[in-house]
Amino acid sequence: MAHEGFEVAVVGAGPAGSAAALTLAREGVQVLLLERGAFPGAKNVFGGRIYSYSLKKLLGDRWKEAPVERFIRKEGITFMTEESAFSVEYESKDPQGSFTAIRAKFDKWLAEQAEKAGASLINEARVDDLILENGRVKGIVAGQDKIPTEAVIACDGTTTGLARKAGLVTMLEPQEISMGMKDVVELPSDTIEERFGLDPGEGAAHVFVGACSGGLRGGGFLYTNKDSLALGMVVGGDDVSLQGVPSHTLMGKLRGHPKVQRFLKGGRTIEYDAHMIPEAGPGLLTRPYTGGMLVAGDAAGHLLNNGYTFRGVDMAIGAGVAAAQTILEARKKKDYSAGSMQAFERRLRQEPSLRDMYTFNRVPSYLRNKRLYTVYPELLCSAAEAVYRVDGTGKKKILKELRSQTKGRVSTLTLIRDMLSGARTF
Amino acid sequence: MSEEKAMTLDKRLALVSFSKDPEPFITVDTEICQNCERKPCLYICPAQVYTWQDKLNYNTEGCMETGACLIVCHKIGAKAITWKYPSGGKGVSFKLG
Repeated sequence: MAHEGFEVAVVGAGPAGSAAALTLAREGVQVLLLERGAFPGAKNVFGGRIYSYSLKKLLGDRWKEAPVERFIRKEGITFMTEESAFSVEYESKDPQGSFTAIRAKFDKWLAEQAEKAGASLINEARVDDLILENGRVKGIVAGQDKIPTEAVIACDGTTTGLARKAGLVTMLEPQEISMGMKDVVELPSDTIEERFGLDPGEGAAHVFVGACSGGLRGGGFLYTNKDSLALGMVVGGDDVSLQGVPSHTLMGKLRGHPKVQRFLKGGRTIEYDAHMIPEAGPGLLTRPYTGGMLVAGDAAGHLLNNGYTFRGVDMAIGAGVAAAQTILEARKKKDYSAGSMQAFERRLRQEPSLRDMYTFNRVPSYLRNKRLYTVYPELLCSAAEAVYRVDGTGKKKILKELRSQTKGRVSTLTLIRDMLSGARTF
Repeated sequence: MSEEKAMTLDKRLALVSFSKDPEPFITVDTEICQNCERKPCLYICPAQVYTWQDKLNYNTEGCMETGACLIVCHKIGAKAITWKYPSGGKGVSFKLG
């Protein structure tokens, strides 16, 4: 392979990489976009949803050409015990704000947009190393090929190999990662619409908290695709490892719940996927830049789980664009030194959509509170049972019933402390 | 419903496409594993690449390339795993990820 004359190498054709390559190519930069999978998206797994604003910003009206599965009309959360479920559902007035997607289709499409703008995509190319000269990144090494470039944007995902080679990260701690797994279950589209109460083209997103994670930090999710459901679990890396619970067994726990069974009824499982999620936030790297290189997307912790929204793709796109803009500025000055690259961090913090990563930086530690996965879901379910059940034995007034439900489970003081701390965190 | 309820990991892995990399991308110094107390790789891996029978066995053919085994092995386990991605185009390929 002869890869001479490229100014910038973007490693990884996920959302961050393709957004970066697209932004650079539009300005006439010679960009090489490298993907280790057989095609962009082949190695990528997510829960299921993309927030539309990021695409609108990147592509204008052309965002409507994106391979959308369903626009999310309904948001739901279920707190569950083994057999009961307490659910809350919200129907948004405009479902266009987010949509479900399949990464093999979406990432491929986004990379095609970068190609159309002039970026050169090479699939099946694993980048093994960086060309380093006096601590400055001067290109990449892929197999036998040494490809010199002015700059590198590393969007190489959670395991973030290039950031490690550049000395920007030490290994993550087990409590800073989660394991995500999902089953894709095929169902006819009209069955999905009837079952979830949706109009054609509309979808639902649902989160499950409680018994499905078996007391471990984690939870379940369900997204409706066009003619399949994406049903999965996310569980804390420290919890499964230390408590000796094989991660995949939680899929069975979720699927065994009566509420989930009813969602899946008659469906056929057609794929199983898994992915590691970094939960450390942007603090994952000591800094997302070094001389000649920027790091964006999962590789730099550009994602956010704030407990009720799970964002990765939109932030990756935003971070990819910010990285490209930093490179464009550096290119004008012909200065790719660390000092010049530092502007990336400022851009990340100034961009309103990305600022959320810093706003919610206390969430991960809050989410380590085990009561969220055990006591509180149980409490909600048993309180609902007590409120709704009429069996002729006489009823208490609601407040009195709630008080008696908390007894022996959680002290009033702890409950108030968790609520206040939650109010400050979210 | 009952058939679906009995979804096992083996059935799940049979649904995923893999292209075998002739070059090993995970290697484990299984001697070191003998002294590993917690054996976290057995639990973190969503594809049960690692199993234990008198000693550590591993089969990378079902590897989903999450990279989590490396982290738990080095932080909780005995630091026995060496890990990189499979060669370009090889390994797992998701169609519906």
